[in-house]
Amino acid sequence: MVETFNSLMAGFAVAFQPQVLVYAFAGCIIGTLVGMMPGLGPLAGISLLLPATFGLDPIIAIVLLAGVYYGAMYGGSTTSILMRIPGEAASVMTCVDGYEMTKNGRAGPALAIAAIGSFFAGTVGVIGLMLLAPTLASFALRFGPPEYTALLLMGLFVLAYMSGGSMLKTLAMAVLGLLMGMIGIDAMSGYTRFSFDIVELGDGVGIVPVAVGLFGISEILLTAGQAEPPQVQNPKLRELIPSKEEFRHSVGAIGRGSLLGFLIGIIPGSAHIISSFVSYGIERRLSKHPERFGNGAIEGVAGPESANNAAATGAFVPMLALGIPTSPVTAVMIAAIMVHGITPGPLLIQEQPDLFWGFVASMYVGNVVLLVLNLPLVGLFVNLLRIPYAYMYPCILAFCILGCYSVNNSMIDVWIMLAMGGVGYVLRKFEYDLAPVALGLVLGPMLELSLRQSLALSGGEYGIFLERPIALTMFGLGALLLLVALKPLIFKGKDWRKSVGLEKVAD
Amino acid sequence: MSDPAQQQSPAPRKGLKSDQFSGLMLVALALYVWWLNRQFPVGTLADPGPGYVPLLLAIGLGAIGLLVAIFGGDSERLKDIPWPEAMRAVIILIACSVAAFALERIGYRLTIMAFLVFFLGVIERRHPFKVALVAVGFSMASFYIIGEMLHVPLPVGPGDF
Repeated sequence: MVETFNSLMAGFAVAFQPQVLVYAFAGCIIGTLVGMMPGLGPLAGISLLLPATFGLDPIIAIVLLAGVYYGAMYGGSTTSILMRIPGEAASVMTCVDGYEMTKNGRAGPALAIAAIGSFFAGTVGVIGLMLLAPTLASFALRFGPPEYTALLLMGLFVLAYMSGGSMLKTLAMAVLGLLMGMIGIDAMSGYTRFSFDIVELGDGVGIVPVAVGLFGISEILLTAGQAEPPQVQNPKLRELIPSKEEFRHSVGAIGRGSLLGFLIGIIPGSAHIISSFVSYGIERRLSKHPERFGNGAIEGVAGPESANNAAATGAFVPMLALGIPTSPVTAVMIAAIMVHGITPGPLLIQEQPDLFWGFVASMYVGNVVLLVLNLPLVGLFVNLLRIPYAYMYPCILAFCILGCYSVNNSMIDVWIMLAMGGVGYVLRKFEYDLAPVALGLVLGPMLELSLRQSLALSGGEYGIFLERPIALTMFGLGALLLLVALKPLIFKGKDWRKSVGLEKVAD
Repeated sequence: MSDPAQQQSPAPRKGLKSDQFSGLMLVALALYVWWLNRQFPVGTLADPGPGYVPLLLAIGLGAIGLLVAIFGGDSERLKDIPWPEAMRAVIILIACSVAAFALERIGYRLTIMAFLVFFLGVIERRHPFKVALVAVGFSMASFYIIGEMLHVPLPVGPGDF
């Protein structure tokens, strides 16, 4: 414990360097603005900013991108509450009661509770990250190829189980992503696969063009041509203070959302999205007056907002401790770190303590920055929402082209982005979840390598996965979840998602 | 007693369903991957080749696609999926493709200027002054911030513009 405290203090020494502070501020502001723009969620924002971090110190780069990440989480909630437009997917649940509160003249308290909940959850998440990541990293040193194979497969099964939509469709998208991960030179044999004689594809398909295409371009294709945005309320600073009653209702929801979000965040999948959905369902279940939900219940804002922010932090635990991305956002973050020659994984905390503890400390700082910045400046930020969409989307498109091109100075990346935009548009029309594609793309090469190494190690015996306790446990857990998820499909039973209130969103 | 007409569930509407169609498309994609994968050695279980995992994945995708199609009977009819924004989406993709083609030929600033003039002036029919202001302002400002301040190399066109 003393060692952790000392390391954290060393981290604060890094985080309080003026340059790091400036970038933390910049990241939070950019993130908030990005999160407020429809079509530019945290993933697209981070992807577009990635090339700009290449020339930066690795600590500053990751602090900047992390600031964008949780800034975007907060920015998304502002548009959800004021305009019923979720800036990013995790804010969908906030729309339900947040916008009702706005209609009831309580936009200020809704924004304030969202900010306070995000701050508290972010802090809980950072404490969890600080305590859990080093322990997990030490444990992960025992992992060999079979354990990694089991872990990656379990992650995909959990993703399918936790998905808000059809489990089969989620699995299909994950497999599609894994297949895209096969493109390029095979690390074990040197064969170039599925490259269609395009030299640039030898290095594989990058996560940035795929992520920007699937999430940014497809959103614009779906929303272009929409009517002018609705009128935006601009709450004054004095209107932000919640009443005692609203505080009382929010405290429990924030606490539960924070804990739940962090735990879900560690599990692979679109954790921050899922956690906000589950939190909303739980709050509605626990409420003595569930009929208030959907009509402006402040718990419906406090719970999901806390959960999605805690989950965003929780996702950093496996990323830093195991080197495994649990969401498309952390996949891009890993790419950002690897550009600097640093490989996230069990040895990161030992070999790069400055980076790890500086990052943890800067997350504390980032949380305070967000709270201090967002509440007083909310009036300023909402002005962005007054820009007509007709002006905004061509500029977003230009940014997407610019961002994808500048990652590798490669036109192939721009073509991939456009192709993925078109594919993402069609897949969304057919109600497919796109996050598993991006996740599968990153996990594909890792899964292939660990599976083939495991088989080589065992002389071709799949039994190796059953002989090793850690791998067996993870496979067992994954298989159990898969069976539970298959049950409603086979027996036409009630899905767990309906029991936590997700049917409201589906409507 | 309730009205018997209300008790009757609506007759299932005929025609291919969206999930059936998308499931079959996944099967077709799986077959295509399998066909492409034939050129890579699958190897043995003890020494899996470069074609081993893609083959497993193609089988997985095909199987899941088949299940999506089989269980997709309750989904929306393919014909009923609305595509009101499809034409504009196609125009956007074509315009982006033209911009991508032009980027390394005429440089970032000219490409983005032309791109924004097309969208704001031709597609959105905004006031010419505002169009010019946004097109020139955005391309110059973004080039300055990204290219000059953040040192990200951006393509330049004729006369280093």
